[in-house]
Amino acid sequence: MLHCMPVHGVGCRAPVILKIIGRIMISSIVQWVRRMFADFDATHREKATALTVMEMEELENIFALLVLGSFAGFPSPPTFIAVELLPYMERELQILSKRAKECNDMLAEMCGTIGID
Amino acid sequence: MTSPLSALLERSGNPAIGAYESLRLVQDSGINRIHSLILNKGKEEMMTALIIIFGLFIYLILYLTYGKKLERDVVKASNEQATPSHRLYDGVDYIPARREVLLGHHFASIAGAAPIIGPALAICWGWAPALLWVWLGNIFIGAVHDYLSLMASVRYDGKSVQFVATDLIGKRTGYAFYWIVFFLLILVVAAFAAIIGGMFVRTPAIASAYIYKIIAALILGVLIYRAKMNFSLATIIGIVMLGFAIWLGTVTPIKASYMTWMWVFFFYIIVASSIPVNILLQPRDYLNSWLLYAGLVLGFLSAVFAFRGFEVPAFAGFSPVLLGGKATPFWPAIPLVIACGSLSGFHSLVASGTSSKQLDKETDGLMIGYGAMFLEGFLSTIVIVAIAGFGYTALKTAAAAKAMEFTLNASNWGATFTGLSGKLGLSKANLFVQSYADMAAATWLSFIPGKYVKVLAGMWVASFAMTTLDTTNRLARYCLAEMAAPLKESAAGLYNFLANRWAASIIPAAIGIYLAASGNWLIIWGSFGAANQLIASIALMTGAAYVAKKLKSGFANAAVIPAWLLWITVTAAILWFIIVVQPGAIAAKPVPGWTVTVILVVMFILNFVFVFDFIKSKSYKKAG
Repeated sequence: MLHCMPVHGVGCRAPVILKIIGRIMISSIVQWVRRMFADFDATHREKATALTVMEMEELENIFALLVLGSFAGFPSPPTFIAVELLPYMERELQILSKRAKECNDMLAEMCGTIGID
Repeated sequence: MTSPLSALLERSGNPAIGAYESLRLVQDSGINRIHSLILNKGKEEMMTALIIIFGLFIYLILYLTYGKKLERDVVKASNEQATPSHRLYDGVDYIPARREVLLGHHFASIAGAAPIIGPALAICWGWAPALLWVWLGNIFIGAVHDYLSLMASVRYDGKSVQFVATDLIGKRTGYAFYWIVFFLLILVVAAFAAIIGGMFVRTPAIASAYIYKIIAALILGVLIYRAKMNFSLATIIGIVMLGFAIWLGTVTPIKASYMTWMWVFFFYIIVASSIPVNILLQPRDYLNSWLLYAGLVLGFLSAVFAFRGFEVPAFAGFSPVLLGGKATPFWPAIPLVIACGSLSGFHSLVASGTSSKQLDKETDGLMIGYGAMFLEGFLSTIVIVAIAGFGYTALKTAAAAKAMEFTLNASNWGATFTGLSGKLGLSKANLFVQSYADMAAATWLSFIPGKYVKVLAGMWVASFAMTTLDTTNRLARYCLAEMAAPLKESAAGLYNFLANRWAASIIPAAIGIYLAASGNWLIIWGSFGAANQLIASIALMTGAAYVAKKLKSGFANAAVIPAWLLWITVTAAILWFIIVVQPGAIAAKPVPGWTVTVILVVMFILNFVFVFDFIKSKSYKKAG
């Protein structure tokens, strides 16, 4: 039982302080629960799409190699097609270049994406 | 003056009973009468709840103390340096993720069937040694291994532990990785196919429920990726279909022989690993993640509220009969039996594959690398509690159904348990499945009929084991192509054959399923453990080399000592396995026996090549 300690000219403040603390606590708990559910949802959405995203990336890589393969030493398609597509494929080129550097270190990435044990 | 509480704790040598007595004291003093529900239980009946709560407690304390010490003094994590997810952000591979989300994703990737099977086998030493290896192995080796793999990768721009090993130790180590991983993948196929086959034969309802789950996954795939249905609605439909599959499975069990299932698995592996992932693998994995959380939550609640004493002896001897029917010494064989529940080499690949590329801040690494391994250890703790509390009853019930009688106690448990559980059809995962269902039935969760809980537990194990089967084949294909690379110039024909998509799929599947069909599962499981722990040993040595050589950490021995301890243990274990266990396996079944022996011998040699390179790189000398 909390004993109220009157303060000169102010009266008992303890119940008010308790109410405020209570509200803050409840609001924190509600926020925490909401965040937990949001994270759980995000994790599951990631889980539901990770493999499909990986396969889509592979298809994009193949497409980039087919169209702009000359950058990686592959025979190029007709020039007018390559030139026409070039402005739209800046991101693909960057990823192509990065993947070319990392292509001999894919085992761990595959394990991480697929999940094993 | 000694307080009454201290007197009670001193009088009762058993800490569990001591804790119980202290709770009783609290009640007697009238401070808290709410606990009377719990305290009315007998002393022994508190064991299941106490171990679970104690496990949670030590994990929490060690995370906040030892984990933080590793973060501060070994890894020297600092948020001042940007992680690869920011430095190399590309919106594809390198993306910062919230740590809670990344934890969920990382945990779902490392959690599988192995942390369930290993502890279920290790119960032959008694529950205390199994539990101690899970806890101590987790805290001082496994979680350190995962954390160091993650952080070394983060500091290496998200490169894999294999790449880091090549850089720090030598090129041969990186190449040896492929060989050991390839062997491991073959042995995983063998071990997990045998587990699922045994479970499908013992409980046909699990087989049919699993097949219905595959159909549910195919429908879910169409709903999400083709029909573009709202994600939440599709999830609800998927979960309902999952529940329906479990119910339908109990109604229409599919009975088939062990060999039939082996053939089914062989073709399944080839087909599943060749079709686009969005058709089957992706939606099935998604449903699996719900199974994982459902199984964990149900297991946790059951273990806390079961109020059951332990039927299994705490310690049943140092060398019970286990691997290959031989007396199996706790040291060095324990890592061959409990692999992933305590420490696992696969985790280093997962941590340094995708998690390191998504880490937002360096200080998040402790929760992802160290914390996720604790969650896995906690999963194994639930398994041990379930079997320690209900395993003996499960054996008795199975024996009664076969009109058999037996007596098990601390003196004959070690010699009898493995053979007896095999005779009763409760080997591998079956004992866990039965114990788990009985544990849930002993609580307020008993409103869920036991047969459904049993199928749920079986589906949990089968789903993860089956996922591993087909994903393993995708990895094996990649490993085989990389291993065959040196042949490209000298033997182009052989290289083309090995790198061919179908040949590379069929080779590991055929060897793995052949080993599983040979029937000597305990040999396969031990070999799988050896390969797994060998990778863990290399990854931990790499982590130790990183903190000693690159970071020059003052507390580097926290990584170096476990690394050497693990290497010595695993080396001794493989040597023991080759000398003691394999001759019997070869005599019984020469072809599979020799296949496993050759794999073990090659791994043993690679192990020495690796440590030679490690010493030559002088990484260890910089420690401390």
